[in-house]
Amino acid sequence: MTSLDRSFAALADPVRRALLDRLAEGEASVQELARPFAISQPAISRHLKVLEEAGLIETRIAGTARPRRLKPEGVAALWDWLGRYRAQWERQFEKMDCVLEGLAEAAPAKVPRGEEK
Amino acid sequence: MNQRPILQVAQDGETDIVVRRDFSHPPERVWQVMTDPALIPHWMASAESMSRCEIDLRPGGSFYYEWKGTQASPGFHFSGPILAVQAPHHMQHVEFFNGDTASGTTITTDLEARRSGTRMVMVMRYASAEARAAAIEIGMTDGFDAVYDRLEALLPTA
Repeated sequence: MTSLDRSFAALADPVRRALLDRLAEGEASVQELARPFAISQPAISRHLKVLEEAGLIETRIAGTARPRRLKPEGVAALWDWLGRYRAQWERQFEKMDCVLEGLAEAAPAKVPRGEEK
Repeated sequence: MNQRPILQVAQDGETDIVVRRDFSHPPERVWQVMTDPALIPHWMASAESMSRCEIDLRPGGSFYYEWKGTQASPGFHFSGPILAVQAPHHMQHVEFFNGDTASGTTITTDLEARRSGTRMVMVMRYASAEARAAAIEIGMTDGFDAVYDRLEALLPTA
């Protein structure tokens, strides 16, 4: 698995996505991260481990505390990948818009049937 | 109107990618553009090297899209069975890359009539999480970017 594969596998889980959302607001302790969830702290720790192994978060060592935070490089790689994938669709659909405009000019559509909403 | 239509591209679960896009034309028209082999090459990526575009549009039918190779990249094709057709609202087909039937992607496309035109929702279900990552990372992003970069290089820079 490439690191990008691991990133996407890590994101496949809703709890891990929620943890990333929380960390996007700033670093947090495991206790703080676990608070909104109805699952045990060890379970949260396991999710955090998956995120860390995927390169999306890191652990800061601050005395005895071990707060987690986003790892900018990992998140940026993911963002760039999704952005480019999305851009490819964007271009394809814009071309479909052009073909649709061409069809509409050649033969204007009648008023939509039944006016479905 | 004429602000950029909203495009949503999201991963769902381990294997799915969901693409949602609105069009300002009725489903009949969007359906026609999506399924007419004479129109598909006008919008599909890498259209300039698309060498074959065939669809037998019926449940139990099949499709075959082929791109000829260039010096820089080998040719490839997508093909597969068509599972469901309810024109102009619903279609389901399976895509095999270069005839590899071991790892198909099931694509379900729904076109819903809206007051403003059509909402398209396309769900692409890959054979595995790895297949999803690989398909997008290699097959789409890099390849398509290269093609568009080439095209952009051909444009006049006035």
